[in-house]
Amino acid sequence: MGALESGECRYVMLSYGHSALSSDGMLRMLGEFEVEDMVFGHFGAAAAYALAARRAMHVYRTGPGTWQHIAIGQRRWANLNPRAMMYDRPMSAEEYFNARWHVEPFRSPDNCLITDGGRACIITTAERARDLRHRPALVMGMGHDHPARSVYRTLDFTGGTGAKKAGEKALAMAGITLGDIDACEIYDCFTYTVELTLQDYGFFGPGEGEDWFRDGATEPGGRMPVNTSGGLLSEAYFMGLTPFTEAVMQLMGRCGERQLGPATRTKDPEIILCSDNGGIFQSHACYILRRP
Amino acid sequence: MSEEKPTPVINADTRPFWEACRNRILKFQKCRACGHVRWPAAYLCPECHSLDTLWVPVSGKGTVFSYVVYHVAYHPGFLSDVPYVVALVDLDEGPRFLSNITGCSPDEVYCDMPVEVAWEDRSAEVTLPKFRPREA
Repeated sequence: MGALESGECRYVMLSYGHSALSSDGMLRMLGEFEVEDMVFGHFGAAAAYALAARRAMHVYRTGPGTWQHIAIGQRRWANLNPRAMMYDRPMSAEEYFNARWHVEPFRSPDNCLITDGGRACIITTAERARDLRHRPALVMGMGHDHPARSVYRTLDFTGGTGAKKAGEKALAMAGITLGDIDACEIYDCFTYTVELTLQDYGFFGPGEGEDWFRDGATEPGGRMPVNTSGGLLSEAYFMGLTPFTEAVMQLMGRCGERQLGPATRTKDPEIILCSDNGGIFQSHACYILRRP
Repeated sequence: MSEEKPTPVINADTRPFWEACRNRILKFQKCRACGHVRWPAAYLCPECHSLDTLWVPVSGKGTVFSYVVYHVAYHPGFLSDVPYVVALVDLDEGPRFLSNITGCSPDEVYCDMPVEVAWEDRSAEVTLPKFRPREA
């Protein structure tokens, strides 16, 4: 952003591409970081997030009863998105609870997808964007926080992740409060990540997620749409670019059947909050975008 | 057909740890400057950055901070083990250690469960510190 504002460059492309599904690249990337853990049969991110999720189940009210709403809600959005890997695969609560365990307490639909493909987004100045063919989305605020502690030393498996400070900084820069947000696009490597991120942003208190997500609150027709493309769980895994580009596309009004507004019985989106998250809750970025 | 499980990659930092394990002694580095007992093994103290380090034996007692049950084998060496438990054990002396819970069924494990070290030979050279339930 600084490079654009100073005039040092005119356009920046954020891009991600991977042949993760047709190669073993993703598994190798996830399995490589802790050699010592492999000795005990511990491999990669799913199990590390599952360790965090299990601890949270011990500390406050959460678990599959909460996560079903996240998995099913996002699947309903994916069913409106022809690009989503799960477009033609609806999921009921019964199917969620009957799905096989991977690393318990996560069932198969609590895990993100593995995808071949990519996504890109072009950033320029608001002035340059003014006479482009498509209406742009504007960056209102952003915040980052990187607690960086390893799972051996983490203090924030159950709250107080980087989302807390990053969210506060982004809201302060945007000059708004959570009440001004029309929809959220949250980095959702696992269902629990969505719960903990929204909890740390302050949408609800610890353990209140089950009630907050209930009755389709985040689904088409809901009061706070979350992950309207289907997200990493049900659209495709393109790291932080799945949520980020979806926020941009929604504000541009280019989302077809899943477009926020009258088409999906939701609020016309003025402001959308999106998140990215790295490691095992070790780094976090929050972006708030708005319509011009 | 069973495939071999992975073995630890022993380096200058971790050699004293794994050598003690072979003798069924659980040892960690203790910072002589601030007293912090650390894991993973590291050249300097993550709390105060002091290089002044001593290896000390610990009681082998702790509690389960969190745990998961693997129903999928991500490595062929673990195919005959599923479902098995991986847990983060908070040792009484401070360090948090990732290991397996043995000696009970996965259904019986819970957060804050008292456990103690249970040694398991992986090979002639490597003995692993695993953990089993203990009386509180």
